[in-house]
Amino acid sequence: MKQLRYIVLVLVLLLSACEGATATPTATPPAPTSAVSSPTVPPATPTTPPRPIRIGLSIPLTGDLAIAGTKHRDGYQLCVDLINQKGGLLGRPVELIVQDNRSDNEVTVSQHERFINVDKVDLLFGTFASRLNFAASAVAEKAGYVYPIPSGGALRIWERGFKYIFYFQQGAVEYIGNAPLRALIAYRDKGIIPAEDFPKTAAVVHADEFFGNAIANGLLGGKVEIPGTGKVIDLAPGFLAQAGIRVVFTQKWPEGFTDWLTLANAIKASNPDLVMAASGSPDDIIQLVRALKTVGANPKMIYTSQGTQVEFKEALGDAVNGIIIHASWHPLVRYVGLLAGEPFSNQDFIQAFKAKYGREPDEDEAIPFAVCQGIEQAVRAVGSTDNKAIRDWLASRTKDNPVKTIMGDFHWDERGLPIGRDYLVTQWQNGELKFVYPIGEFEGVVDLLWPRPRW
Amino acid sequence: MTTGLQTLILGLALGGVYALMAIGLSLTYGVMRILNLAHAAFMVLGAYLAYWALQIFHIDPLLSVLINGPLFFILGVSLYRLLFVPLAGRPRYTEATLLLSFGLALGVEGLMGTWWTGIYRAANPVYATRSISFGPFYIPEGQLYATVISVGMLLVLWAFLQNTRIGRAIRATMQNRTAAQIVGVNVEGISALAFGLGMASAGISGSLLSFLFPFFPGKHWQWISSLLSLVVLGGMGSLIGTVVGALLLSVASVWVSSILGPTWSPVTFYAALFMVMMIRPQGLFGKKEA
Repeated sequence: MKQLRYIVLVLVLLLSACEGATATPTATPPAPTSAVSSPTVPPATPTTPPRPIRIGLSIPLTGDLAIAGTKHRDGYQLCVDLINQKGGLLGRPVELIVQDNRSDNEVTVSQHERFINVDKVDLLFGTFASRLNFAASAVAEKAGYVYPIPSGGALRIWERGFKYIFYFQQGAVEYIGNAPLRALIAYRDKGIIPAEDFPKTAAVVHADEFFGNAIANGLLGGKVEIPGTGKVIDLAPGFLAQAGIRVVFTQKWPEGFTDWLTLANAIKASNPDLVMAASGSPDDIIQLVRALKTVGANPKMIYTSQGTQVEFKEALGDAVNGIIIHASWHPLVRYVGLLAGEPFSNQDFIQAFKAKYGREPDEDEAIPFAVCQGIEQAVRAVGSTDNKAIRDWLASRTKDNPVKTIMGDFHWDERGLPIGRDYLVTQWQNGELKFVYPIGEFEGVVDLLWPRPRW
Repeated sequence: MTTGLQTLILGLALGGVYALMAIGLSLTYGVMRILNLAHAAFMVLGAYLAYWALQIFHIDPLLSVLINGPLFFILGVSLYRLLFVPLAGRPRYTEATLLLSFGLALGVEGLMGTWWTGIYRAANPVYATRSISFGPFYIPEGQLYATVISVGMLLVLWAFLQNTRIGRAIRATMQNRTAAQIVGVNVEGISALAFGLGMASAGISGSLLSFLFPFFPGKHWQWISSLLSLVVLGGMGSLIGTVVGALLLSVASVWVSSILGPTWSPVTFYAALFMVMMIRPQGLFGKKEA
């Protein structure tokens, strides 16, 4: 009997250890590529070549953030190469100094300190993922370096009173849930959703993890504590209450959850007009949608925080139709930005990207490209790499005088969060992911399908 | 009341599948005292095969049971002869096989990751998201079919163990390996057969898993920990205990989920495990080891 107990205990320990280690899908870390790029020097041949503008980038090329980190590096590198091809910046070539921070907070901080104090780089580009940017932005802020952030939507990054940080996506994660609701309201105003048909009740279900909790917090009007400041952000009353929608059911699920039919059964019993589901994991959302279909829950509309991927449709088949999902970037959106002072559209970006890398770009490559565009415009405008002047220029952007990128126009509030930038809203229609919101801002937007086809 | 009964139906449907998943684990442990940690990894491998069979050859996952069963049986017998036999007679046989199966699990996970990447997959036959209604109740069609197949397989296995010479030899080996050997049972052959049967059950559960739950290579860790809990609850090596444990735990987790919330549902398995260890370490149907 002793032996049996021993085995079981060993197993439990072993398995709990493994579960943490391999809960996420495995990925092969990409081989580190040469760290320093070779800038293309402009054809001009002065006697003494101009000193390059050096930009520090500490990015995860190995470790758990490697896949998205490598894509960020590629997006930045493409932008720098294009600037150099177009004659550089302020008559000087641009050099991107890339260092692999191994997805490690400590390494990220020390690499930024080194960029600032030892290498004395001219500028910094933000890294990938909230946790690294949370730490790195504090180093930059202290040294008075502008820190443009491609990824890191959590409010706790933006509520510390920093002056040198600027966000290059739509808004804090807590605000994501507002986009699908605004889309629904816009379509009610447009007459596509009859006023009496507009959702009156909603069920909010989400994964008990950073991303899912943040979205649910915004929808339900929870409180967010900002670490180190004692500040508490009250999101009350929440976007659902603002939209006049009553919450009839809320539930969160843990990591590794499998009991989806029971959850779907409970959602069905609460009979909501609108189901809003938030999780960082596409797996969760696929499961939930399948379960909703299986139990025959038929809300008028379903919003999910994941599901723009091809795999989503592959796993769900026709069940995807009608589901709405927010997005930051999409190849169809015809935003026109600026590069080297000339118009440079999203489609130009896609073409240049394919020419350089031989594959289709996605969000993780488009966002850093936009960051690079923003900084380039600021440097051109102030005529130097003086970070204080760049910061003031970025901070004084307005709706009519914005930074123009392939992700659209940017101007920021005093926290560094973009103003007036809604997430895009997409909807699966007849097996294709269509754009439905914002209405009338660019071509390619089609009307919302309302209500969702019943299953 | 309606909700309660509906929850019970969902729990029982889930339990039938869990029982088939766990029976191979229990059989292998019962006959050879090998705790095959790679069991769930082979289930996921079976799920991948069923998934590709559907995607490429349009073979329904329910039919792929007929392919996966024999295929995994052969794979099991070969693996046993190739890897486990050489370990026989070693002083720490049980620990060595534990580590070996752990290594196998990692190896299979790595191979699946290399071949099919970490993308989430789920086979999507038409019945996967339909349900059959009767009165105010419904039963998900996919789960119904999976449960019917599971119960069918369990009955076949039971009849085989009860009524055939080889079946009796397997049971004899489970009860007392040395005594079985003394009365002339070919214990090595029986072990290979039992390992093959265990693997066949993993392959068949994989076919069912492919349309019931999404999977990716690392998913097996989650499965094996749930399966171990219910095998321990039923009593290690007791086949009837495994089936009862599976039904009890799946119904319990579904109830906990609907009353306390889904956060508590996975906890059910571990709570049951700890309670069994404290109150009745041999499990519900297990016998105390000498």
